[in-house]
Amino acid sequence: MAVVPMKRVTIAALRKDRKKIMEFLQRRGVIELQNNIPEDEVFRKYDMSAGRQTFLRNRGRAEQALNVLNTHAPEEKGLLSGLEGRKTITLEEYEKGITERNATQELCSRILDLDKEYAEQSAKIPREELELTALEPWMSFDLPLSFSGTRTTSAFTGTLPGQQTQESIELQFAELEPDLKKDITILSSSPEQTCIFAVCEKEDSARMKDALRRMNFAAAPLSSQVPAEEKKSLEKSIEEAKKRKEKLHEQICELAPRREKIEFLIDYLTMRADKYEMIGTLSQSSRVFFVEGYVPARSCEQLEKDLVSRFDMVFEAEDPAADEDVPVLMRNNGYSSPLEPVIESYSLPGKGEFDPSFLTSLFYYAMFGLMLSDAAYGILMAGACAFVLIKFKNMEAGTRKSMKLFLYCGIATIISGFLFGSFFGDAPHVIGETFLGKPDAGLKALWFEPINDPIRMLSFCFLVGLIHLFTGLGAKLYVYIKNGQILDGIYDVVFWFMLVGGAVFYLLSMEMITNMLRLNFIMPAAVGKAAAVIAIIGAVGIVFTGGRESRNWGKRIAKGLYAVYGVTGYLSDLLSYSRLLALGLATSVISSLFNKMGSMFGGGFFGAIMFVIVFLIGHALNIAINALGAYVHTNRLQYVEFFGKFYEGGGRKFRPYQATTKYFKFKEDI
Amino acid sequence: MANLGFVFALIGAAAAALFAGMGSSIGVGRAGQAAAGVVAEDGSQFSKVLILQLLPGTQGIYGLLIAFITMSQIGVLGGSADMSLAKGLAYFAACLPIAFVGLVSGMAQGNASVAAIGLVAKDPSQFGKAMIFPAMVETYAILALLVSILAIFAIPGLTI
Repeated sequence: MAVVPMKRVTIAALRKDRKKIMEFLQRRGVIELQNNIPEDEVFRKYDMSAGRQTFLRNRGRAEQALNVLNTHAPEEKGLLSGLEGRKTITLEEYEKGITERNATQELCSRILDLDKEYAEQSAKIPREELELTALEPWMSFDLPLSFSGTRTTSAFTGTLPGQQTQESIELQFAELEPDLKKDITILSSSPEQTCIFAVCEKEDSARMKDALRRMNFAAAPLSSQVPAEEKKSLEKSIEEAKKRKEKLHEQICELAPRREKIEFLIDYLTMRADKYEMIGTLSQSSRVFFVEGYVPARSCEQLEKDLVSRFDMVFEAEDPAADEDVPVLMRNNGYSSPLEPVIESYSLPGKGEFDPSFLTSLFYYAMFGLMLSDAAYGILMAGACAFVLIKFKNMEAGTRKSMKLFLYCGIATIISGFLFGSFFGDAPHVIGETFLGKPDAGLKALWFEPINDPIRMLSFCFLVGLIHLFTGLGAKLYVYIKNGQILDGIYDVVFWFMLVGGAVFYLLSMEMITNMLRLNFIMPAAVGKAAAVIAIIGAVGIVFTGGRESRNWGKRIAKGLYAVYGVTGYLSDLLSYSRLLALGLATSVISSLFNKMGSMFGGGFFGAIMFVIVFLIGHALNIAINALGAYVHTNRLQYVEFFGKFYEGGGRKFRPYQATTKYFKFKEDI
Repeated sequence: MANLGFVFALIGAAAAALFAGMGSSIGVGRAGQAAAGVVAEDGSQFSKVLILQLLPGTQGIYGLLIAFITMSQIGVLGGSADMSLAKGLAYFAACLPIAFVGLVSGMAQGNASVAAIGLVAKDPSQFGKAMIFPAMVETYAILALLVSILAIFAIPGLTI
């Protein structure tokens, strides 16, 4: 229920034990290392980055290998597998994994080699297929494409642009070289190109070449093989590449069962790299090294016992000095701890502040419930969270907390849903009327239905808001008293209590206000008068003390008057709680809308089917949008209205030196 | 011309759904562009930026809500459609707050969401705070919604 007290720990030990001690501390994960010892001639920091780089490089290779495995043989994962959390392994498994690490690294290299060849084969296939298509027009040619003629003749094999016929080629020759003796064979022709084989006498070769050039002739791709044969060999090569690829794929898949070994290696290398990084921050002499850091006070004694019994060392723990920047760790009971992430995303408790998780938890779930306020939605939400919490025992701490948060919010939603008579909106009524012929069916609200009496609900929201705000103010008073600033507490809190509280009671004694809020009671006039007096005393107090940091009285009063003006802030804070009503109404009105839409198709079988479809889609949409809205606005009411009264934050999170692994969790005692 | 009151009331309902819906679509659209940009760089931020994108969407829902309540009260969804001109005008007036505030706050909240998405892209750990900035804008939509709701619920009891 509070911020965990920290001890500042200094350990001096022998360098020969350095590796073991650092590993021990890493597995324990209770110390945040922070070395403040200045370097001198004896004690200095060592640069460990070279060793660390080696680990990181090897880890990179292992990650690549794991990626290869995941693309070739993807792990079968359920929809909710992300919730399962890391596997826990025992000491023996850990030790075994370490002895096997060289073998695993070889395994990684093998996987990467296989993948490299796989990539080569994959690239080869389209390349050869391209060659195959390029060969297609030459298939009727029964000589090698590189054939250049016999002893007395010259031969040219190649393409002319466009679709040509024997005549059109003859015509062009007639224009360019009318008396050239030649023989032209058209091998194939398509709209893009015409493949020809031209033969002439050897002495005419230059003229022929020139004429062909002017006709934009392009020589065929050189190849010493007859096209048909080359096609065969290419096809064979492609076939082989495909088979090889298949084989490689199988080989990689065969290695997939050893995936866990690689995952272990990645975790192991991460831990080693982290350790090296930490060792780099330590002060060391040739024989001795120092470890400095913060340890939660409750873990301190155990840590000392375990360390001193295992190693020769000096272990010193002391309370941190008042001005030290001590890291913050929150610890709460099961009811309040789900709110820790919510607090953390605002800001952790700063110096001299207390952990607001518990106070916040008194309101948070209830406000969420008021905003979503539908029993069925609450049952769905709480049910889903409870199922996940029971099914996945090994969930990571962070996920577990948010699941619990929504479980409690869901329960609050169920309660408020029954209080205000909403179960999928007015679904019981609509179903009863449309399908069962009972127009008076419906879920009776335990309290009242806000949609029939919104003003009453609004008054209730203001009451909740007032309690919330006053709790915040009370918390501020508590902080002042705890820090010994009693006078400040009176000036900044008690006067405000008097002013705001007095004003509220005074207003409640006015008939106009109670009528407006439809309250069935009214404060007696005497109480109203007394309240007014109290409010005025409060206001005067604020005028005189609100600007007390100024020495000049003129300035001080002016500042005090401005401080009293802050009462308008309370008005707007209070109005802000009307969102409880607005969001609650939004949920129920929109669900009624969908129920109505669903029932428009009438009773009967077809009507029932349409109703179910509209019902499922509509309510799925409504629950998603309104749960999001409720979450956002509950947070806002805490952050802005509530924390604004007493909480600043600014603490630094406790980040223990621990095994930040991705796949495995190591048991405490290894 | 006997049913002119009904026409005005229906115009009011339509305006509530229309303008608030427009505001939300502009806001959600702008935020969606920014969100898509962030996801292009870092896919793991998807769920966070999606939440931020949806925040300006509530105005449209509030508009729908007012339109629906009005329509069910004036008898569009079954029932009689008789009412005086004054009552119709009263409904029309009651719909105006959420119509106009919905339009403007939807757009403004969209801009705040775009900035919040940028904040999350730079520092995902600030998500909690990033969510609050757009939610501040929404306060005014909620206040307008409240006025519209309270007014509409009060109209049937008026003798005009």
